[in-house]
Amino acid sequence: MNQKTSDRESGASGRRSGERSGLFADYRTGPLHYDEMFGSENAPREHCRALWAALKDMPREEIAQMQKRAERSFLHEGITFSVYGEGSAHERIIPIDIIPRLVSAEDWHFLERGLRQRIKALNQFLSDIYGACQVLADGVIPVDVVRGCPQYRTEMRGVEVPLGAYVSVCGTDIVRTHAGFMVLEDNLRVPSGVSYMLANRQAVKTSLRDIFRRHRVRGIEHYGALLRQTLAELAPPAVSDPTIVLLTPGVYNSAFYEHMFLAHEMGVELVQGSDLLVHNGFVHMRTTEGLRRVDVIYRRVDDDFIDPLVFRPDSQLGTSGLFHAYQLGNVAIANAPGTGVADDKSVYAYVPDIIRYFLNEEPMLANVETHLCRHPEGLEYTLDNLDRLVVKVVGGAGGHGMLVGPHATPAERAAYAEEIRRDPANYISQPTLDLSCAPCLSDGGAAPRHVDLRPFVLHGRETRLVPGAFCRVALTPGSLVVNSSQGGGGKDLWVLPS
Amino acid sequence: MLSRNAQGLYWIGRYLERAQHGCRLLIDQLETLKDRSVEEIELSWRRLYGALGRVPLGGQLGSNLGDDWFMLADAYTLADDLTFEADNPDAVRSCLGTARENARQVRNTINKDLWTCLNLLFLGMRELSIEDIWQDRPAEFYQSTENAIRTFAGVADSTMYRDESWHFLQLGRFVERTQLLADLIDAQLATFPAGEQPTESDWLSLLRICGARVAYGRLFSLQVRPSLVVGFLVTDPLFSRSIRFGLGVISDALGVFSAGRPLTLEAGRRAGRLVARIDCEWPNHDLEDEDTTRALLQQVGQSSRLLHDDIRVAYFDYEIEDVPQS
Repeated sequence: MNQKTSDRESGASGRRSGERSGLFADYRTGPLHYDEMFGSENAPREHCRALWAALKDMPREEIAQMQKRAERSFLHEGITFSVYGEGSAHERIIPIDIIPRLVSAEDWHFLERGLRQRIKALNQFLSDIYGACQVLADGVIPVDVVRGCPQYRTEMRGVEVPLGAYVSVCGTDIVRTHAGFMVLEDNLRVPSGVSYMLANRQAVKTSLRDIFRRHRVRGIEHYGALLRQTLAELAPPAVSDPTIVLLTPGVYNSAFYEHMFLAHEMGVELVQGSDLLVHNGFVHMRTTEGLRRVDVIYRRVDDDFIDPLVFRPDSQLGTSGLFHAYQLGNVAIANAPGTGVADDKSVYAYVPDIIRYFLNEEPMLANVETHLCRHPEGLEYTLDNLDRLVVKVVGGAGGHGMLVGPHATPAERAAYAEEIRRDPANYISQPTLDLSCAPCLSDGGAAPRHVDLRPFVLHGRETRLVPGAFCRVALTPGSLVVNSSQGGGGKDLWVLPS
Repeated sequence: MLSRNAQGLYWIGRYLERAQHGCRLLIDQLETLKDRSVEEIELSWRRLYGALGRVPLGGQLGSNLGDDWFMLADAYTLADDLTFEADNPDAVRSCLGTARENARQVRNTINKDLWTCLNLLFLGMRELSIEDIWQDRPAEFYQSTENAIRTFAGVADSTMYRDESWHFLQLGRFVERTQLLADLIDAQLATFPAGEQPTESDWLSLLRICGARVAYGRLFSLQVRPSLVVGFLVTDPLFSRSIRFGLGVISDALGVFSAGRPLTLEAGRRAGRLVARIDCEWPNHDLEDEDTTRALLQQVGQSSRLLHDDIRVAYFDYEIEDVPQS
């Protein structure tokens, strides 16, 4: 099942192997982590050789300058995200590391096929659990795992979803270990980060333009066009030239820059809930020329806040009556409400079975081994191996309420075990992963830092994706946390031509 | 376009104009500080605060008459009040901050060059205080800030598509300018009434604030007569810092996108009436009669405030009377 990565390290022949100079002079790889650039005996991997050769003798000051320029351009252009509850420093840039991460054509080909397979199966799964429920009847996944999930929306039962595309935009977190690529998490609600993928590309393309050109990196700039096309396909059938809007919670949302950026890329209006109103079952937006009908809403607000009449009544962000208009088929909402059930951490464990069940194929991308504490054997295993496992709360996100066993004290583990026993169904456990590393600038030289990648898959009439991803990097040495709010940064990811 | 976006652009226009006006007033004031007497300086501050409708911190001016050193210290405090005071929403930095915040919210309607222009202006000023600019040629600071605002206007002019977004930016800019000019000229007449022998430099300074010296000199020789100066700043249709010019832009912009709905027509009509008043009524009144001049100016100021309300209810906050058929 695990894929064979292109480990064809360049010949370990004497002179070149292990040769480290300039930028990479102090770079040390360890046996534990897969290194994205260097293979056995510290020789650059075949597909990284040209980049390595171009960078290794570049004066450190020059690279440091490029790095600074890239960061400054982010600040000037306002490519920032907001950090909640930080008083003055509200807007921060996501630090960029200008050494790109390279992905070979073979690896990308593999990833792409795996991602296409996954989104197809997940959409069929959602269609089924909000419709015929065959997958539950056949016992592939226990009923209570699905129905007990807080993200399961009974309101969606029987709703006709355009093209069956529940998930139109998916951001899948993928990590690599020595065993190959693995899906860490599917983000099927309102995945973010694609603007940083594009901004990082722009910045690195500018800084390393000669190197970039020589690599013939595959383009990603058409993402906005593909997204627009995908959204347009979801419009009610009677509408020939649909009006698309992007619904944002507003300027205080941490991803506001991205909302603005995508609306601009697609040439659609960026609206807030208060700009919309529902009349006679149709959605309109308030313009200077009066009301104008809206056909497709790419929403970047959570389910809870879409419509106060149906979901959270205290929400100020949504629009009353929106869900009703959706049920009538007068407006499309992407992603559909209720998709969160398919990226729930318990349901995640069943995705390989879901793929087999709906597509009759073996899953290409591996899952991380996951133990559900709701099952007695999973609970027992988790409690017995707490010092080696990562335990997560099922509905949690952003690392909240998580226990990293190897880093916790015995007392913390004991307290956590107590919590697990009290409500086993709320927990899952996974082995601690040895995420791969890639070289990052640190004190003028390159040093290994852990990375992951989040490609974005679009699904309308067909499945589309650009050859690229938001590559997140844990800038703190040794840290495995790549989250932007916790000191994570970004890298450009270059998919090479075959 | 989306009402909220139109509103954002409108306020960007207004706040940038207000910031620019503040810079121009302070540049002129710093000039006054160089060689005028303490009494003249005090009058000049009085005009400035009167034009902005603001009470200086501490409540009164000139408490230190006769003492040059205190007068200069006072200038420092007052300039701070008008430039960096966080509690003053009309201070230069506050205006730029508000303009930038509006721009952030409507960023998808403005291009990257415009945004960067405004963002850099704000970032460059965010950490500054009056100490930083006062030691070393404060006038240069105001000049460079004004230049940056002009650059924004220039970039807008040379890059923006002339759709509604352009017109709402223009509307904000000129609604603000018209109000500020009416208030400034009125404050000038209140501070330097005609009964007293006019000091030429007080009226030259008014022309300087409006950037009108050259144009005025070309039209009326170099002799500065208060009634001519006021007439020029109110009625000249070709001078971009005249009230008449501003009203012309507003009227044109409203004409472009009045959608035929009753309220939008109302805004256009009010602008039209104001233009007519300046074209037809102003020339007939006794130019030397300052009371009438001031009354007319105050009406113009009041009308342009109502114009703002018209625009708001016509385009931004309108009632939902009729929904288009789907």
